[in-house]
This record gives sequence, structure tokens and C-alpha cells, in this order.
Amino acid sequence: MKTFVFRNQTIEPFLGSDGMTYSGYDDISLVPDDVDRYIWFYQVPVNADSVQLSEEVSSFVDKLDLVLNRAEASKPFVIFSLVNLFPLRLTGDETAVADAVAAFNRHAMQLSIERSNVKWVDFSEFTSRYDASTLVNWKFYLMSQMMLNPKLANDFQGWWKHLDEEMALSRKKCLVLDLDNTLWGGVLGEDGIDGIKLGGDYPGKAYSYWQQSLLQLSRNGVILTVCSKNNEADVVEAWEKNPHMILRGEHFSALRINWRDKATNLRELADELNIGLDSMVFLDDNPSERELVKQMLPEVTVPDFPDKPYQLMPFFKQLVERYFRIYRVTEEDRAKTQQYRANAMRQAEMGRFADMESYLYSLDMQLEIIPADEHNLPRIAQMTQKTNQFNLTTKRYTEVEVKQRLEDGWHIYCMSVSDRFGDNGITGTIFLEPVDDITVHIDTLLLSCRILGKGIEEAFVKTVLNLLRLDGYRHVTAAYLPTAKNGQTADFYDRMGMTCIATEIDGTKRYDLALDHVYEIHNYYNIRVL
Amino acid sequence: MSFEETVLDIMRQAFEIDEISTDVSQKNCSKWDSLHHLTLASELEEHFDIELEPEEIAEMTDFSRVVAMLKSKL
Repeated sequence: MKTFVFRNQTIEPFLGSDGMTYSGYDDISLVPDDVDRYIWFYQVPVNADSVQLSEEVSSFVDKLDLVLNRAEASKPFVIFSLVNLFPLRLTGDETAVADAVAAFNRHAMQLSIERSNVKWVDFSEFTSRYDASTLVNWKFYLMSQMMLNPKLANDFQGWWKHLDEEMALSRKKCLVLDLDNTLWGGVLGEDGIDGIKLGGDYPGKAYSYWQQSLLQLSRNGVILTVCSKNNEADVVEAWEKNPHMILRGEHFSALRINWRDKATNLRELADELNIGLDSMVFLDDNPSERELVKQMLPEVTVPDFPDKPYQLMPFFKQLVERYFRIYRVTEEDRAKTQQYRANAMRQAEMGRFADMESYLYSLDMQLEIIPADEHNLPRIAQMTQKTNQFNLTTKRYTEVEVKQRLEDGWHIYCMSVSDRFGDNGITGTIFLEPVDDITVHIDTLLLSCRILGKGIEEAFVKTVLNLLRLDGYRHVTAAYLPTAKNGQTADFYDRMGMTCIATEIDGTKRYDLALDHVYEIHNYYNIRVL
Repeated sequence: MSFEETVLDIMRQAFEIDEISTDVSQKNCSKWDSLHHLTLASELEEHFDIELEPEEIAEMTDFSRVVAMLKSKL
């Protein structure tokens, strides 16, 4: 296979020379048509001027579109996602480059959904295995325009080869399942509803895992059907009465439970579901049934079925990787995509306003201050684990630990933020530990960086301080614990009007505040306390 | 394998060629271009666990210079 690679850096050691032709650096003037496939594999350049760099990254979108429109639509076009290998941020709230990178990736993902020949490869799947100092080798970069460390070339080739093979396999839509000794152990007609092996100890346990995994597959869009030699009434009864049954009638899109030959049944299933025989995978423990289907319907994929129940889970993994792994974005990614899109709109909006104030007014920001409860507890714990930049103390808590502190009488609030461009969800939290009747200590205060830059942090803390005052507290203590990443919060409490009473050798700052007045909060923010 | 043979084998692999001899140089080996030169430097660093400076990498223009450079490092 001949492949043409669009690139802006040296990447030959990674993709290799076998069958590969490379464009000039960032040269899109030539889109050859005597090749079988195209690859787009750009790197984020190095430039300390983030505005310039974000513009350059944004230009990759247009370049990609130009190239894609000139390439033959019938030929595979693989787009590697952009990863900023050397993020250089002079200020903590600098997101222009990250936004541009995200916008490119969103665009590429969208192309892969719209165009069947476009495949999107998540390059971060590879880069996330390494720390930043391993990924970039400056010596080689400056000598050869190759930012990615050449010592990772072997690892990369292994990763890419595997992915490349997976992409070449066609995706299947439908799994056709036998029942006896396939979805459960034993024969229903002989062993009876409670005699079949399902649930409990081995081997029943193996079939439980297997059924549960198949159920997840169906929730991800794979069609499950049954093709079994059985009495349908017996099967329906087993689905209803066996307490260990996970996959039941409602999980199957179509059934062929009868005594006819399986090839005829499969043909009918394909007609009923309006899918091609070539998008079906047939699973049956009986080699003669498999052979019949292979002979009669060569379009149907018929993998060997494992002999032992304990081989079912590795078999499932293989099924997913070979036939059902879906090269599409998840719903969560979609939600993220939405948020990124909203961020981009906010940026564009900013350019149109004469000053910051009218911009903030126009956003129509809604802040909800919510006491911690069982619904938001997992998210609160997750934020303490993941937030690094706007995090005053960087204390990491598990869900159980947060719960424990609630039971110990701590006041824990979280904040949900939305504006007219979209809902950011729960993006901030504060943990308050009562010290005595009138004193409370701020143990944790953090906000997700995607909502920063709008003064929301101050509005959040002021609202909470007003609440505390209503609760009878008159005195607040707090601390800033420096880390490599939270420098932007070093003077946050100073800005909030707190008194710094001590600065320790490691940079820790301790604060005191008398709660002697109500804090005024600007009316850009519509605040609701739940 | 002797030290020289090891180096020669690393060079052969880095240049993606089947045959190589001790008189190989940038002048007489067409595969020894700038890209393969860097692959060679990277492989040598990896194999002998050394760091080569860009100036040193530039000086390694034939087999005997590669060997001499490595010996000064090891």
C-alpha cells in the first residue's frame, strides 16, 4: 500500500519508509493521486507567542480541509489528533493554544463522522504513556525538526501497527447467539431452568460475566439476536424465571428459536433487521453448526467458539477488538465537544465587546451553589483528584473520605456554572471544617480552569462567606499550599481581603478573616443557593 | 561480538541496509543521509547509554570516527 503523509515535522522514524512518501514540511501544495491512502500527522510547533501559535494551529484546520477536498474521497484518509508536546504557558489561565488544539481535534473527529473514508486516530493514546521530558528530545528536535523523541520510535511503531490493523477490519453490526452452552452452560431442554449453569460458582460465574459483557455491547449499539434450536416457550420461561439471567428477551432485537437449519434462520434475521449478512457475527459452540453457516453463508463471520467457559472473557475482548470496536466519539466526548464549541463562541463574542464589563453582563452567567449530597459527591471527589491549577490546598479526597467529612459536620458546597453558551456543570467546590462555634477553616477550595477568567471564583467564595455568616460563624481561617501548578492562586486570599498572618518556609501562607459584613457581589452573576 | 562488530551492526540497522563494511562513510553510502544519521545517533545513545552532543554527532562522518567517538565516551 502506498501512503502519502502530510506533516510539518520530521516523523519518518515513526511511520517508517516502507511505502511512505512524505510532504515537505507543512507543504500542502501537492496532493498526489497515485497513492492508496493519506495520513495527516501534524505536530504543534514551538512558539512562546501563544496568540501567534494558536493562530497557526487554527490554520491547520483550513489546510486539512483543503487537502481533504482535493484527495479522492474513496481513499482512506487517516488524521492523527494534535497533541501539544511542549505546552508553554506563561500565565496560568492561558488557554488559546489548548483551545486551538481542541478545535482542530473536534473538527477532525467531526470529519470522521461525516466522511466514511476519514479515520480519526487519538494520538494522545500513545503520548499519554510517557512523561513530558521523555516525549520531547530537544537535541534531536533542533538538529532535525523532530520533536517526538526518536527513542520512542519502536514503541510507536508497535502501537500504530496494531491500530492500523484494527482500522482495516470492517465493523460488524449484529451478533447472532446460540443459547445452550453458548449463553449458559448445559442444555435447557435437559437440565431445566434451574439446572443450566449460570451465576454462582464456576462455571456459572463465567457465563454471568459473558452475558453482562454482551449486554454492555448491546448498550453500545451492537444488535444482539438469538438463533437457537430450542422450544421457544422453554426459553421464554427461563428468561423469566432463572434469577441469574442477565440477557433476557427484551435485549434481543430478533429471535429465531426453532428447529430449522441455522442458515435459513440467519437469512431471515438479516432480512428482518434490514442488515447485510456481511455485518453479522455468528457464535455457536457446536462446530457442525458453525461449519454449516460457513458453507452456506460465506459472508457471515464465524469465529471459533472457546472450549472452556473461563476462556469467554478473553474471547469477548477479542470480539470487541476485531469486530465491534467503534471508531466513534463517546457521548461524553460529544458533551466535551459541545463545551469546547461553546468556549470558542465565547472567545469570538469577547472580540465584539468594548470592555470586559459589558462582556460579562452579556454572558448571562448562572451560578448554583449546592450543598454536597449523594448525587454530586462522586463529582466533588473527582474534582479534588484532578484539579491542579485553581486549587488552594491540592488535597486529594476519595468519595468515602468526602462522605466521612460530611458526617463529621463539615460544610461542603459545590458550584454549577452555566451561561448562554452552555452548561459547564459542577466546576467548583469548597470544604469548610468547623473549628468551634464561630470559626470555620477552609480546607479545600478549587475551581475547574475552564470557568476561570470571569471572576466566578470571587463570586463563589463571597456567596459562601455570606452563607457562613448567616449560619452564625464570625471567623474564617484559610491556607494556601503552593504546588508546581497552583501559582495563579498564590494571592487569591489577599485579593479576597483576607489577612496573611504567616508565611512559612515552604511558601505556605496562612490567613485570617473576620466575618463582620455582608459581601457585595456584582450583578453579572445570577446566583442561586440550593 | 566485538565492539567494532556491534557498532557496525547498529549502523547497518540504522541505515536499513543488508551489507556494511568498516570503510563505510557518509560519502560512499547513499543511505547514510541526515535522517539516518540521526537514527544512528539515537540508536547509539540508547545502546551504550551515553549522551552525544550535537557537535559530536556532526563529527561522526565515517565508521572509524564513530568508533573513536564512542571509545572516548565509554
